[in-house]
Parts: sequence; structure tokens; C-alpha cells
Amino acid sequence: MRSRKTPIALAAAAAAASLLLASCGGGGEDDGATTGTLDFYTNKAAWEPDFDELNAQSESDVDISLNTTGYSDAAQYDAFIKQSFRTDKSPGLFTWQTGPSLAELVEEGLVAETTDIWTEAVDQGWIGEDLKAAYTFDGKQYCVPMNIAYWVMYYNKTIFDEQGIAEPTTWAELDAAAAKLAGAGITPYYQTSTLFTFPWFQQLVAGTDPELYNGLATGEVKYTDPRIVEIMETWRDQQDAGWFSDAGSTVDPAVGLKQGDFAMINFGSFFNGSLDGAGMVSGQDYDMFVIPAVNPDLERTPVAVESGPLCVAENSSQKTLGLEYAKWWMSPDAQTAWSAARGDVAFNPQAHVNDPMLEELGTTVAGDGYEAYDRYYEATPTPILTVALEQFGAFIADPGDPLPFLEAIQAEADDYWADQG
Amino acid sequence: MTSDQTAPRRPGNRRPRDPFQRSATGFVAPGVILVAVLLYLPLLWTAFLSLTEYNGLGDPEWVGFANYVEMLDDPDFLGSVLNTLLWVAGTLLVPVGIGLGVALLTWNLKGGTWLRLPFLIPYALSGIGVGVIWSFILSGDGALDQALAAFGAGDTPRWLVDAPLNTVVMILATAWQGVGVNALLFTIGLQSIPKEPLEAARVDGANGLRLFRSILWPMLRPLTAVVVGLSIVASLKTFDIVQGMTKGGPGRASETLALTMYKETFVNSEYGLGSAIAVFLTAVTLAASVLYLRQQLSSKHGV
Amino acid sequence: MSRIIRTTVLAVLGVLWLLPVYLLLVNAAKAPETFTSKESWLPTDFSLFANIAEAVRLSGLAESAASTLLYAVVSPAIAVVVGAAAGFAIVALRLRHGFAWFVAIFGGTVFPLQMILLPLFDAYSRVGLFDSRLGMVVVYTAISIPFSAFVMRNFFTGIAHSVFEAAVLDGATAWRIFARVYLPMASSALVAVFILQATFIWNDFLLGLVLSQSDTVRPIVTSLAGMQSTYGGAQMSTVLAGGLLVSLPTVVLFLFTQKFFARGLALGQY
Repeated sequence: MRSRKTPIALAAAAAAASLLLASCGGGGEDDGATTGTLDFYTNKAAWEPDFDELNAQSESDVDISLNTTGYSDAAQYDAFIKQSFRTDKSPGLFTWQTGPSLAELVEEGLVAETTDIWTEAVDQGWIGEDLKAAYTFDGKQYCVPMNIAYWVMYYNKTIFDEQGIAEPTTWAELDAAAAKLAGAGITPYYQTSTLFTFPWFQQLVAGTDPELYNGLATGEVKYTDPRIVEIMETWRDQQDAGWFSDAGSTVDPAVGLKQGDFAMINFGSFFNGSLDGAGMVSGQDYDMFVIPAVNPDLERTPVAVESGPLCVAENSSQKTLGLEYAKWWMSPDAQTAWSAARGDVAFNPQAHVNDPMLEELGTTVAGDGYEAYDRYYEATPTPILTVALEQFGAFIADPGDPLPFLEAIQAEADDYWADQG
Repeated sequence: MTSDQTAPRRPGNRRPRDPFQRSATGFVAPGVILVAVLLYLPLLWTAFLSLTEYNGLGDPEWVGFANYVEMLDDPDFLGSVLNTLLWVAGTLLVPVGIGLGVALLTWNLKGGTWLRLPFLIPYALSGIGVGVIWSFILSGDGALDQALAAFGAGDTPRWLVDAPLNTVVMILATAWQGVGVNALLFTIGLQSIPKEPLEAARVDGANGLRLFRSILWPMLRPLTAVVVGLSIVASLKTFDIVQGMTKGGPGRASETLALTMYKETFVNSEYGLGSAIAVFLTAVTLAASVLYLRQQLSSKHGV
Repeated sequence: MSRIIRTTVLAVLGVLWLLPVYLLLVNAAKAPETFTSKESWLPTDFSLFANIAEAVRLSGLAESAASTLLYAVVSPAIAVVVGAAAGFAIVALRLRHGFAWFVAIFGGTVFPLQMILLPLFDAYSRVGLFDSRLGMVVVYTAISIPFSAFVMRNFFTGIAHSVFEAAVLDGATAWRIFARVYLPMASSALVAVFILQATFIWNDFLLGLVLSQSDTVRPIVTSLAGMQSTYGGAQMSTVLAGGLLVSLPTVVLFLFTQKFFARGLALGQY
């Protein structure tokens, strides 16, 4: 019987030891290294091979290579990163979201300042001033842009050609195209009742009045505002007209566009990769256009932009290394390599973009007639966003009187802004 | 019957001079310690968080029972509770019921081992495969709709959109994966039933339902306790399949308690509120299992 | 019921059960370029191996395989013995307040795993267990104990206490009775629990996601899951092919251990 005691005693000792160790504080010391392997965390797990591909370039340029860990669940990823600041595993480099979630980290002093990197990049003409606002808090910059994506309308070229439809340049033309498609028995637009339920709402509101859209984000405009209600009614009329795809379909949207489940889909410009993967040829089977403003009187056409920051944790042991990489990331060489690896638009105008369609989009949107605005997903405070995504989802599943849905969102918004008060 | 042989020994009679209590402690300790350190300790932290306001950054701020009040105040919380109850009832009815059926049908059947195999394969599949394939089947105009159309069915229900139908079909998808394990556990139970009373009953002319009711069912009770107990716990915690297929939607129509907890904690960064829901869920699960297990196990075996 | 009816019912039900597996196979074999969701039931072409190769390339799961195998073998093996020991203490040795101890162990399984992830991560990174194989083995062991204790305890209640008493009269120690009498008698249940837990660990996603980081420590499903994402992840048939590849070892395991499950042990004879 005596021998039985040993394992228990061992286990107890191990437990006690782990408790003792657990009481030690978190956070690491910056080891000051400027070359080597940098631990990198991202919620865009699918891009891991692209980051790996980039290592060849970064090793030859600045002698840093990334060790990438990808998370496919965005919510879990956020929680993991937040928790890691409390430990000595706070990341040397990680991806995040702009808007209120970045503001939260900055407020707590958890991300390293990148003002110097930005100043230099702007001086070199590597990046436009307009992107800077999303990264600026109290006059200082934090993080650098990892990628940039414009939310545009992709369409199935074969269907458009068959129906004799040209790329619409005004909202009226877009409506006419949708009506024509619906008349021919083709569903014009893609929609889903889970997660990405917001794009059409975003498009309708921002395209009607950008100020109204901004007002929603800042709490100055209520979701129950008559103008919002009217927009929702437009959306419902379009639903009733059969302009949107089956809300219960779980078919991969790229496959859906390929097989003609719908003719158009509003998506981020990173969608090219998925469509190519599904076997469609850029420019031949599919193309894209910037969605015209609902209100033809707007001077500049609003384009939703999504920009994912690349951040360095303030208390990371790899802070110096992370900042070195961030600095390199802004350079034309890095951005050319990135655009080639990922197949996406580059924020650096000096970078070379391979896909002519994306090259053209970058130049178009940079032109005078267009104005970028933050995507609804980043612009809206998280608690309101959660409820809004749910309510839009419920509305998409069973379109009806929009007011109850809007009231539910506004109730959450009231709570949120009262707390911020 | 084996269990009856142990019953007459009254606990009080053996305690004073029981030489095995110390080694008994030794035998149970490794399990208790591992579970305590790795599972209970983290849970205590969660219980503490449920009494605070915490967004995952900085320090938790003590708010007493405010999170619990907020939780009970939320009308959607009730919907989540109801969905969870539907899961418990459905899981007991379908996977446990079919599992027992399969075990009984394959019992003492030539080739039963191989006939049981189709039910076990889904259990061996990874969750990703299961989630993707069932989305594929239940999607609007998906594999199921295509099959129904081939048989001439016109308008099919919107499987994953309309509540509570979406919860029902997700229970069936879970059953698809879970039946095999239950059948296996029941089979182990059936195999441990002694031959003699069975033969005696057969000689008395008992078969079919009567054999099942009078001999098999009582003999299966310990295993039924395992299967039902595990099913209650698993169904109260239902998360993966719902997160994979509807994300609790549309709106919050198919949300379960575990999903509500997940949403508050990870999506909204309301760690306090999420923890309160977790504590509530844990309390309910624990109460349900203890009540159930005590009735099933301790009365019979005096353990 | 007659054997023929029973066999027929089982065969029909079995075919029904295999239909989703058929769909999985057929669609995992379709080339992403020609994939449509319109003809789910029909095989169109056979690109299964190309899809598998693509899945391996995208997820880098080849590196995870060895460590996942380690977790799926070591952890359930320890957990099964630890669980059996607890069951033995409660049932055969008649541990005082046995039911309470049993509930304490079983209670480890009642709360949602998501709730303990972040505290675990915190503790793991402080004691240096984060992203280590030891850490993964320990957590998988702990998580497997409640189930094995539950099943083993109930299994042991089926063994007459006179078996234990006879062994005591022979002068055997508790350890010896456990190792030489009870464990061998329970071998079918031990193997069944081991296999179920090994499968669970092999397919685990959450713990691997939060407690590990490098490709050599990360379990296989966590690596695989990274392929699916809104941001231009892998194509449907590639994901299915990857899921199929990862599931293969556990399916084979079930196939080969079928005989063992079937043999069983007639406990009542003791």
C-alpha cells in the first residue's frame, strides 16, 4: 500500500508548484533583438501560407521571418489576444480590427506606438494620409495597415452578357439590372442570414447619406430614425421582389456565383482569391464594379473600406523586432510581395499589383469621385454590432415590418451610449 | 443478480475496522487532483468573474450579483433556456433511444458487429467534416432538398432558417454522430448480463418485449445511467453544431445557453455576464446530474 | 424477433446512416474548379488525392500528426487507468463518501469547456506549459478522467463484491487486486473507453487552439480548421478532403477494434 502514496505526493507537489508559479506577474521584457524569428498571430488563418511565402522576401530584406499562428474563429482570437497581454506570451506581432476594438487596446496602453513609422512612410509617399485617421488616437499612431479591402459588387459576367446588362454606373441602372435579372428568373443579389448580414444595409445607408451612416456609428442618429426606417422599407421591397438569394443556403458564395445561384455579390476585394480557387477566371467569368451611390446628388461615391491593422504589443518580449517588421511591411518591396502572395490590392501606391482588375480598382477608388468610409463591421461598437447582425439576420430570414428589428438594435445602442456617457 | 449480492452488507457494520480506507483514498486521489487542478481551479476563476464587470483587459471590477440580475432580465435568455431544454429532451429521445435499439437488435446476432459499424463511423469523423457535411445536406436547395425533389416533393421547409425546426434538424444531425457510441455502451452492458437468468426466463416462455422489460432493462440500468447521464450533460452543453450551422440564428432563434455564454464572453467581451451564464449552466447541469445519478445509482448499490 | 427481420432493419438503417458519409466522399473527390452544389449526389470526377494534397499543403497538418498521435495514445491510456482506480476505490474498496467523490470527479465534465479556456491559457503560459507537448498531454488526461471514471465505476458495480473478498482472503493487497483482478476483468470496457477518448482527443479543436501555437505541438484538427475562413479560405472540396484524411485513422481504429468490442466479458459469472 505504501507505494501508492508516491504518485499522489508527486501530483500534489506538482499542483502546489504550479500554483506558486502562477502567482508570478505577467508581461515580458523587450529583448531588443532586431533580427530573427517573430511570433505572429492572426485571425486570418487561411492566409497563413501567404505569410509563409513572404518570409523569403523579409529574410533577404531585414532578416526577420514570421512564425505564424492562425485562428479561424474571430471571437476566440480576440479573447486569446486580450488574455495574452496579461502573460509573458504577449505577441510581437498580431492582426486586429480598426475602430472601437483598437481604441480599447490603445486606451489600456497595450499596443506599441508607431508614429515614427507612419511619419516616415507618409514622407516617402508609401501610404496616403486618408488611411491614417483609422490608426490615429490623440494625435499618435498605433499599428500599421496589414491589408486593405474595398467592398464592391462582383458579378457573373456570363449572366450579364446573356442578359445584355452593362456594368451599372448609377443606382437607377443597378435597380434596372436587378429588375431585369429577376424578370428573367435569375436572383440578382447574394445574401446570408448568418454573420455577414450587414453589407446591404451599410450600402443603402452610406449611399443615401454618408452623414447619416456616420451618425449611426457615433450614436447621434437613432436606428429608429424615419430615414433609416425608409431605407429598411426599400430593402424589404427588394426582398419582396425576390431580389435576394435563399437565406437558408449554406453554399460557399464563390461557388454560388459560379453556378449562377445569384448574379451579383457585394464582397471585399479579397474575394478574387476565392473566385479564382472556385475555377472562375478574373475578367472573363467574373468582374466587379464600385457600387453607385443611392443618392445621385452625392458629390463623391462612398466606398466601404476594410483595413486590418498589424500591431505590436507594448509589453512583448519581441517589441523591437515587431516594430522592425512593421516598418518593413510599409515598404514598396514588402507590399509588392504581399500583393503577389495574397492576390489583393496594396495600400502602398508604389507597390506593383499583378491582377489588372485589382490594379484598376485601386486607381479608381483613389480618384476624386470616390470617398472611402469604414465598413459597418469595424465602425460599429461591438455590443451594438452583435445585436445588429442578429437583427439583420432575422430580418433577412423573414422580411417584414422593419421597426421591431430597428427598435431592438436601438435598445442596445441606448444602453451602450448611456454606459459611455 | 450481482447487485443484490452486495446489498445486504450494511455500510455501518464494516466501517470501524475497514483496513482499505487509506488505500481507497490513494486510489481516488490522482483522479480528484487532476480534475481539481485543471478543471475546477479555472472554473473558480470563472465563478469569481461572474461577480465582476470585466472586458478582458485591465482588472475586473466587483459588481456583486448585477450580472445575474441582467441575465434573468433578458427575454432572449429565456428563449435560450427553452432551446436548451429542447436539446435535452431531443437528445434523450433520439440518440439514446436509437442507440439502445441498435444495441438490442445487434445483440447475439450473427454479424452484429459489422451491422453496428455504420453507426460508429460518424463518431470517428472529425467535427469539421460533420459540420460541413450537414450544412451541405440541410442547406436551401442542398442535398436533402435535391433528394426530396427527385421524389417529387415541391416546397421543402427551410431547414436551418425556421425555428424551432432548425433546432430539431440539428438534434437529428447530432444524433447521427452520437448513436454509435450509445449503441456501443449499451452493447457492453448487454454483454455483461449473465446467461443463467436469461435462459431461465426463456424457459419460462419470456421473449420480445417481456424479456426486455423483466430481465434486460433492469440489468441494463447501470449502463443506462451512464448513457443518460452523459447525454444530459452533453446536451445541456450543446455548442459546436449550432455554432457551426446557424450561429444561433437567424436572430437568436436557435441559440442554446452555451452559445449565449460564448457570445457574451467572446464576441461582446462581457466576461462577467458570460461567466454568470456559465455558472448558471453549470449549476443546472450539476443539479440535473446529481439528482439523476443519485436516484439511479446510490439507491440501488449503496455507494 | 427473427434474425432476418433484425438484420434487415439494421441493414436499412445502416445504409441510411452511411448516406452522409457517401456525400462526404463524393464531394471531397470533386475538383474545386468544377464543383457545384447542384448535383450533390452524383460523382462528377475524381480529384480526391489532389484535394488531399492541397489540404495538407494549406494547413501544414503533416507536422501535427506525430504529436496528435502522442496525445491520443498517452492521455487516454493514463486517464483510463486513473479513472478505473477511482472507480475501484469507490466500488470495491468502498471509499467513505464514495458518491460524493464520484460526483466531484464527474463534475469535471459538467461545465462548458469554453469557460475554462482562458484561465487555462493564463495559467499555462505562466508555468511554462503553454505550447508544450507535456501541457497538452496533461490537459487531455484531465479532461478524459471524468468519463472514464464514470464508465469504469459503473462497470465495477457489475462485479460481485465476493470477488474482492475472496482475493482479500488470499492475502492480496489492494493494489494487487486492482492490477491483477479488476483491470483484466474490465479489459473490454477499458479498451472501449480508451478508444472513445482517443477519438475525442484526436478530433479536439478547442484546447489545441488555445493552449498551443507551433506546428509541432498543435493538434491536427486545429491545424485543419485554419483552412476555413471568410477571408478566402480553401475550397469546399478541399476542406472535405482534409476532414476525410484526418478522420481516417479513427475510422480505421474502430474497424480494427470491432472484434474486441464484440468479445466482451460475461461479468455475471463471477
